[in-house]
Amino acid sequence: MNELAPIIIAALAIALMGGALSVFVVLKRLAFIGQGISHAAFGGVGIALVLGVHGATTMGEIGQLAIVVAFSILAALWIAALTRSHQGRADTAIGVVLSASMALGFVLFTFAESGHGHDEHGHAAAEHQDEHHLIEEILFGNILDTDWPKASLAIAVVIAILAVVWCIRRQLIFWAFDEPVVDAYGLNSKRITNTFLVILAVAIVMAMQIAGVVLAAAMLVLPGAGALNLSSKLRSVFVYSVLIAVGGASIGMLIGFQAGYPIGPTIVLTQSVMYLISHIAKIAATRRLA
Amino acid sequence: MVPAVEIDHVSYTYPASGFDASPLLAIDDVNFTIDEHTKLGVLGPNGGGKSTLIKLILGMIKPTSGTIRVFGRSPIEAREQGLIGYLPQRIEADRDWPISVEQVVALGRACRIKPWKKLAVDDRQAINRAIELVDLADLAHRPIGGLSGGQLQRVMIARAIAGNPKLLVLDEPTVGVDIAGQQRFGELIETLHKELDLTVVVVSHDMRAIAAVADRIACLSRTLHFHDTAQGLTPAVLAQVFAHDVAGVFGDIHIDAHLADDCDDPSHIHQHQHDCGCGDQGGES
Repeated sequence: MNELAPIIIAALAIALMGGALSVFVVLKRLAFIGQGISHAAFGGVGIALVLGVHGATTMGEIGQLAIVVAFSILAALWIAALTRSHQGRADTAIGVVLSASMALGFVLFTFAESGHGHDEHGHAAAEHQDEHHLIEEILFGNILDTDWPKASLAIAVVIAILAVVWCIRRQLIFWAFDEPVVDAYGLNSKRITNTFLVILAVAIVMAMQIAGVVLAAAMLVLPGAGALNLSSKLRSVFVYSVLIAVGGASIGMLIGFQAGYPIGPTIVLTQSVMYLISHIAKIAATRRLA
Repeated sequence: MVPAVEIDHVSYTYPASGFDASPLLAIDDVNFTIDEHTKLGVLGPNGGGKSTLIKLILGMIKPTSGTIRVFGRSPIEAREQGLIGYLPQRIEADRDWPISVEQVVALGRACRIKPWKKLAVDDRQAINRAIELVDLADLAHRPIGGLSGGQLQRVMIARAIAGNPKLLVLDEPTVGVDIAGQQRFGELIETLHKELDLTVVVVSHDMRAIAAVADRIACLSRTLHFHDTAQGLTPAVLAQVFAHDVAGVFGDIHIDAHLADDCDDPSHIHQHQHDCGCGDQGGES
């Protein structure tokens, strides 16, 4: 049980953060940017590998995390800058950054792998297998190796993110609701956009610890999307979103641990089912009123 | 008394935005002041620099040359101090948002409140007053999704005045609105002007929209010309002023260039008349 405690606490903390942020992500239509950032993080993992910073030790894992966070933040700001230079066309910017970062990631993986092959002939096959296992972990997440230091770091990051979001909540809501006018009200839309994308990049790297590159962004979309089916009041939407996020993570972990399924994908699948239920509930409520 | 807006020999050129593009001179040596408590209408063709003028007054872009002061401050300082209220031409806010009329109006005031502070009593009073002034008190707690286009525009006006600005800037506020709607809009702005002691700047390509709101009028087609009338812009004055047929753009409204007394260059007056009357130059507006 003690081994599971840091895993469960880290997963619930990250889910809670996902629930709060996903309302902004969905309302501001940033779901695709989330995907872009999470896939871009793959390039960061490649850089960490080439630099020899990898997850063999806890410090190595934290070092790898720092490099991936830094790379993801750069990718997020790059997406923002490209979006501005393409007259607000985020899809073009994401298409460029996502592809470039994924390609960079795979090239660096191969580079790191070939480096090992030349240096340690006897262990080449085992290294090769390790690299593929690592790629799978990066793509789909591996929360099972979360120990207390990693869980503590996750909790600290979640608290920091939620504190920043709370401090700028009014500006964030105004920006997400009506970005073209916020500058006229004395706010700085570029600064708010960059701040939120940095928050999103850090949040996505945290969610990657659970759900990996491929599914991380889902944890920052599904709860908010589901909550918006259930209420037309902003405060209630945030409450429902957190409930879906934390509830989905709890049920997902329960099923995953019992049945031996991979935890990250099971959590995302559970949140997807909750989204589907909320959607059906919305349709039923609309028909009843009509 | 410090004027509401001082525009001192301001020009603005949009930089070239690509390999095969060239810089675009949008505003050329514009020089005028707007006194406090006036309601100025800026009339001009599409591409005449109206939106550029608004961006300059709001401090969203900096003049290529010349200076702008808003209540004696830089435009950025003025808007950061909440002195400017702004109604955009297009309401781009998403109607599917789970947000009520009151919450939208509150955004206009709450965005400047420190994060650890709640809305104070006077904040609540200002928000409620803004909602009452635009006659939406009955709908205050409704989600914005169910509102008509006109009601949503009034919500945005209430948001613009909730922070107690001294200058209200309206960008093409009555596009697609019929004459009766323009008249009602003019009455609403008049109420706000009196109740809140506002200076109002409205820009439009539509003479009727300007006439419904403004008591002073200027024509902007890259350069700017004032048309001052002693009595204000009453229907009688309008009939006297608009005697030249420009039906192609303004329907049955006419412009008489001879009343542009402050345009001392006859060729300039002719150009101005041509641009305002016939010009739809396209591009940036």
